[in-house]
Amino acid sequence: MRERPARAVKLNVLNEPKDSYTGGPSSLCPGCGHDQISNVIITAAWENGVEPHRIAKMSGIGCSSKTPAYYLGQSHGFNTVHGRMPSVTTGAYAINKDLLYLGVSGDGDSASIGIGQLIHAIRRNMDMVYIVENNGVYGLTKGQYSATADVGSKKKKGAANETQPIDLCAMAINLGCTFVARSFSGSKKQLASILKAAMSHKGFALVDVISPCVTFNNNDESMRSYGYVKDNEVTLHMADYIPHFNPMEEVEVPDGHFRDITLHDGSTIRLETISEDHDPSDAMAALTALHAAETGKKHVTGLLYFDATKPSLAEDLGLVDEALLDLPNEALRPDRASLDALNAEFFA
Amino acid sequence: MEKIINDFTINIATANGTGSQSANLILLQSLFDMGVPVSGKNLFPSNISGLPTWYIVRLSDKGYQAPGDRTHIQVLVNPATWDEDLAALEPGSVVIWNSDTKKKTVEREDIISYPIPMTSMARKINTKLAKLVTNIIYVGVLAELLGIDQACLESAVAKQFKGKATAVELNTTALGLGRDYCKENLTKADPYAVEAREIETPKFFFEGNEAAALGSIYGGIQLLAWYPITPSSSMCEGIISYIPRLRTDDEGNATVAVIQAEDELAAAGMVLGAGWAGGRGLTATSGPGISLMQEFIGLAYFAEIPSVFWDVVRVGPSTGLPTRTQQSDIAMLYEGSHGDTQHIVLLPGTVEECFEFGWRAFDYSERFQTPVFGMSDLDLGMNRWACGGFTYPDKPMDRGKVVREKDVFEAFETFGRYLDVDGDGIPYRTLPGSGMDPILYRGTGHNPMGVYSEKPEDYYNLMQRLRKKIDNARDELPAPIIREAEACEVGIVFLGSMENSIQEIDDILEETGLQVSQCRIRALPAHSEVEAFIRRHEVSIVLEINRDGQLYGILRRELPNDLVTKVHSVAYSDGMPPRARIYAERILAKLEEVKK
Repeated sequence: MRERPARAVKLNVLNEPKDSYTGGPSSLCPGCGHDQISNVIITAAWENGVEPHRIAKMSGIGCSSKTPAYYLGQSHGFNTVHGRMPSVTTGAYAINKDLLYLGVSGDGDSASIGIGQLIHAIRRNMDMVYIVENNGVYGLTKGQYSATADVGSKKKKGAANETQPIDLCAMAINLGCTFVARSFSGSKKQLASILKAAMSHKGFALVDVISPCVTFNNNDESMRSYGYVKDNEVTLHMADYIPHFNPMEEVEVPDGHFRDITLHDGSTIRLETISEDHDPSDAMAALTALHAAETGKKHVTGLLYFDATKPSLAEDLGLVDEALLDLPNEALRPDRASLDALNAEFFA
Repeated sequence: MEKIINDFTINIATANGTGSQSANLILLQSLFDMGVPVSGKNLFPSNISGLPTWYIVRLSDKGYQAPGDRTHIQVLVNPATWDEDLAALEPGSVVIWNSDTKKKTVEREDIISYPIPMTSMARKINTKLAKLVTNIIYVGVLAELLGIDQACLESAVAKQFKGKATAVELNTTALGLGRDYCKENLTKADPYAVEAREIETPKFFFEGNEAAALGSIYGGIQLLAWYPITPSSSMCEGIISYIPRLRTDDEGNATVAVIQAEDELAAAGMVLGAGWAGGRGLTATSGPGISLMQEFIGLAYFAEIPSVFWDVVRVGPSTGLPTRTQQSDIAMLYEGSHGDTQHIVLLPGTVEECFEFGWRAFDYSERFQTPVFGMSDLDLGMNRWACGGFTYPDKPMDRGKVVREKDVFEAFETFGRYLDVDGDGIPYRTLPGSGMDPILYRGTGHNPMGVYSEKPEDYYNLMQRLRKKIDNARDELPAPIIREAEACEVGIVFLGSMENSIQEIDDILEETGLQVSQCRIRALPAHSEVEAFIRRHEVSIVLEINRDGQLYGILRRELPNDLVTKVHSVAYSDGMPPRARIYAERILAKLEEVKK
């Protein structure tokens, strides 16, 4: 096991230093938005006090899907096949529902080859955090447009994209996804609050993060460059996360209007209104905000939609309370008498 | 006229979805209960209702289970195939036909004709259900003509309708009506008859799919992920049907998760996820599903994830003949996915083996940390076969090399996910959530520590170890079933459901004076006894139900050079369950060819 450093370091509620949540060095391009997201994942998991080894890091194929090597080095992970991470996660979850499943995917993985699996994981309200590191291009294959590229957006090389994009958040809301948020890799504080809330949610949490590709899609004509997103981000609300282990009364109450949403583990996400109030339980309001942003060539960020009323996959499966993994072999193989009885019935 | 007893074939031509299946099963069950060796083949279309379907009942005191060479008694109910079915009959055949069928009659002089006004008789009993009742009337007619025991018939009806009083009454009345019509209006002019036989070993009828399902339940299945496809759906539905009784606690909570996936890719992904997490996951599908699962199969092989796949094979390629049988996925299963791969394939040939391999598949998969396939086919999976009962697993569940305790983990000098500690090619693994050796599993190249690597020696060594691992499995897998003649003249190497035709083929060959031995391969990679069998025989024929001789191709590549010339292929498939004479004649032709 890792040796504790001698000097006093900041520890989380589990007395773990942040080092317990870091991973290996990144091999992505310097300045990649994905690395910023990895850092926020580390911070969020640490601050949330999740036991690092109780997280399962899941991914598909692509730049984003390589990142699980760069965070949570104490967690098992599975870098699966292109677009199929949701099904592998679903199978793992059926066996061990006690882990926190943290999926990382990209726009190629989620909006093209794997859109079917994403849709069906949402439909099952599978218990997981599903982060889309969304940059509008395929990076590893050198910069082709993906299905989320905005109309009129132009990457570094080639013509502007004229194909209608798929808005994963709008799709998820329409499918009844129980937690839908959009953020920006450059908005660390908002992203951290949203990720922490997603980890505390029971059900499928889609977090679509605009994450500029510095190599192929960070030019001025691109609608997913750092500059463009910074200038055109419409923030729905300030998001603050209050973990369940921190007493609410110790948290400063903001002056203006705010909404508190209680999450499954007792934590709270506090949404402070900036200009207009956004009600995350109102699917129509969320779709309207997304539509307005698209029309105005803007990016809307925040917790778009939230619903705590739907059962998650665990309830639907009708399983015993303990994780199937923890069952002894005797619970898995019916006894000899049961087969004797069956044989007797068949012979009768 | 000399009686022909317990040695003939009945062909019943009806339309799909008219309820003929239950009538046919009653006929089959009543013969079975009389102790008559009998087999039934359902030739059904890919259709819900209306298209032609045939049911072939073979009675054979010799115990032959293949459909015979010809039809002796034809039941004609379906006008759509009437003319063709009638024209195909050999002189002297018997035709029992529905004389109420519009615009259809039987005018052949060289056959024995029994016209029965089935529809009007059925209407008399129940106008609404006339179509259904028509079918049971021909069973009554057959019962009277052939001498089927009334008590056996009634118990078969009760079994079929599981004591539903109205259905039992309706069907019993219709059977009686069929019998009475015969007595009053027909004179028996054919030689066919059934005679009860003493039942030496009690048996019951069972379908291969249900047996494999039950075996999986006893194998400790924890996740069933599936996508419906003919002819495998009934295996998945079988598993689901046994969960309440066998795998549910007193509070009604199950120890098996069932997920109907969005497609076969997702089903395979879920099975891999289950294996990765430390559980026993299974999916059952057919060839088209396995085609879709190829990428995941490669991942399971390369990342060494236990996972169990059943392929109930139907006729390919493409959508093929979805309701016909074949052994055409052998090569695809054995070498599934891109790149160099090799997989364990279990090849049950009987209902009992479907059960046994059902539970063993999980043990092999966890022991060898690799995908394991069960290969059955439509014939074995969806038809009813005589079964001598299921045997409880003879050993505890083998969960393989999983390190679950910290002290065991710490006792390793170096722990690497893909380190060959024991020299058998099988590494140790830890499970997600344990905190021990947390690695990122991947389908990319990796070194023994599980870390990404493109180094030539890492890749080469990994591929060699994987080959060694699967090769080592050879003699731990089910050994072949060998029935050897006194002189080792001709050896037939075959697999799977051909078991049900092989004795008849063997007898036809021996009529020509040949001495024939049988070797039924029950798993791939092939057991070393297969090689020894081939070595002992002058010449060996690899017999299979496909076009290209897929098993032959595999054996040819793996056998030592000096044996390759002793092995020859006979492969044939027309979608039908194997008829013995067709294969026997092809074997004889091949032997002639070899002699030259």
